[in-house]
Amino acid sequence: MNATFNSRRFALLVKKTLQERQMLFLGLTGLSLLVTLVTYLFAKAMSDIEDAQNMSFIIGLVGGGSFLASQVFGYFNSNAMGASFMTLPASTLEKWLTGILFAGVLYLAIFLSFYRLMDTYFVNDYHQNLNPKLPYYKLMMEQVQIFPYDGFVGIKSFIMFFNFAGAMLLGSLYFNKLSFLKGALVIFCFWFGAFFLNWIIAKSMISQMQNAIPYWLVWVDVNKDQGRIELQENLSKTVTILIGVVVPLILWSLTYFRLKEKEF
Amino acid sequence: MIDITNMSFGYSKKKLLYKKINLHLEAGHIYGLLGKNGAGKSTLLKNIIGLLFPTEGEIRVNNHTPEKRRPAFLESIYFIPEEVYVPALTVEKYVNLFSPFYPKFNRNDFNRYMEELDVKTENKLTSLSFGQQKKFVIAFALACNTDILLLDEPTNGLDIPSKKRFRKLIASVMNESRTIFISTHQIRDLDHLIDQVIIIDEGDLLLNASINAIGEKLVFRAVDEISDSVHVLYSEESMKGILTVSENIDKEESKVNLEHLFSAVTDNPEKIKTLFHS
Repeated sequence: MNATFNSRRFALLVKKTLQERQMLFLGLTGLSLLVTLVTYLFAKAMSDIEDAQNMSFIIGLVGGGSFLASQVFGYFNSNAMGASFMTLPASTLEKWLTGILFAGVLYLAIFLSFYRLMDTYFVNDYHQNLNPKLPYYKLMMEQVQIFPYDGFVGIKSFIMFFNFAGAMLLGSLYFNKLSFLKGALVIFCFWFGAFFLNWIIAKSMISQMQNAIPYWLVWVDVNKDQGRIELQENLSKTVTILIGVVVPLILWSLTYFRLKEKEF
Repeated sequence: MIDITNMSFGYSKKKLLYKKINLHLEAGHIYGLLGKNGAGKSTLLKNIIGLLFPTEGEIRVNNHTPEKRRPAFLESIYFIPEEVYVPALTVEKYVNLFSPFYPKFNRNDFNRYMEELDVKTENKLTSLSFGQQKKFVIAFALACNTDILLLDEPTNGLDIPSKKRFRKLIASVMNESRTIFISTHQIRDLDHLIDQVIIIDEGDLLLNASINAIGEKLVFRAVDEISDSVHVLYSEESMKGILTVSENIDKEESKVNLEHLFSAVTDNPEKIKTLFHS
C-alpha cells in the first residue's frame, strides 16, 4: 500500500506543489476571478443581471477552470522541470491526486465561494436600489435572484467544466508545449465534429429540420411555426449521466493512466 | 546494482537507438559514460531512472523495475539532468519541501557540500547563475545519500574552479554502497575521477572496463615515430611527439588518457571488443 498511497507523502507533495507553484496557481486563479468580475460588470452594464450571472459563471468556471487544469501538469515544457516532477519520490496516484485536488477541488471551491459572494453583493445592491414605487417593483425584485448553482445554466456549466477540465488535464500530459492551445483545439474540433455529424444525421432523417443540438433536441419547421423534438425523458437522463458523469470520469481517470505511462 | 539485459530502445520503432545492449554496473564504482553528441548517453540514463521505457529487454536497478517509478525506487536514485530545474524558492524553503522525500537526506552533509562548492545565497534560487544553480542541485543530490546517482553532463556550465571542486567532492562522497554514473562528452572533466569507463557509439556499447583493465590491455605512449611492428589504434601529433594508443603486448605501465582512449575505441570498435572480451 505504501508504494501506491501514503498520506504523509501525499501531504508533503501537496505542500510542495502549493509552495513551488504558488505564483502559477494564485496568479491563474486570481486572473480567472478578475475576468469573472469584469465579465459580470460588463454584461450587467450592457444587458441585465441574469445575463451577467450566466455569462460570468460560464467564463469563470468553464474557461478559468479549463485553463488552470491545462497548467496543473505543466511541468513538461521544460526537460529539467519534467524530470524533477517525474523522479520525485511519490507514487503516480499521489501525483495524480495532487493534480485533481488543484484542478477539480480547490479551484472549484475558491471559484464558487468567490462567485457566491460577488453575486450576492450585486443582487443585494440591485434590490436595495430598486424603487418600490415602480409599477413592476415586485416582479423586478423576484426576477433577479442569486444565481442558482443547481439551475439549468449552473448544471450545464458544471458538466462542461468537468468535461473540459478533464480533457485539458489529459491534454497537458499529451502535449508538452502549448498544452492549453493544443488541448483547446482538440476540444474545439471534437465539439464541432460532433455538432456537424449530428446535424448531417438529423437532416438526413428529418427533411424539415431547422437546427440540431447534439444529444438534446432538434428544431423543425412545421408550416410557418417551429417545433422541437426532444429526447425521451429516460433517454435524456441516460445521456445526461453519460455526458455529465461517465465521460468526465473516463477523462480524469485516463489522466492517471497517461501519467503512469508517460515517457519524458 | 544496475542490470541491463538485452535492452533495445528507440524514439521511433523503425529506428532503434540501442539494439539489445547488456550492461552490469556494481556498487562502489564511479562510472564514466562517454559518447559523442547524440550518441544516446542521456537516453540511457533516462531509461535507468524510468523516464523512458525500453522497447525490448529489461532494466533492473537494485531489484526495482525503473518504469514502474515506485517511491521506494525513486528514493534510492537521484538523476541530475543536463539542464537543472530550481523553483523560485530560497535554499531553506527548497530543502524543507524536497528533502522529506529522501529518507537518507542529511542536512549537515548538505551544508558542507554547499560550502565546498561555494554556493551561498539568501535569495531565491532562480536568482542564481546557471552554474550556481547546478552546483546547488549537485549539493542537494549528494546530501540525499541515494544509493545511485546519475549525472548527465554535470560539468556543463561550471567554471574551471567549480569543475575541480566538483571532482573533489564526488571523489569524497564515494563509498562501497554507492554507484555514481556520470555521462559526459567533456572527457577531460572526468580525468582522475572515474574508475570504470563505458563508451557508447551509434547505439552500441563498445567498452565497459575499469581503468586498471584498460591500463593492462592498452598502452598510451608518446613516440618520435610509429614503428611498423606496433599496431597503433590511435595516434595524434603533439608538442611531445606522436601520442599513440596501442595494444599493451609487453605489459607496460602507462597513464590512461581518456580522450585518446575514446578515439581509439570509436575508431576500432571491433578490435577493442575482441581485445577486452578475450
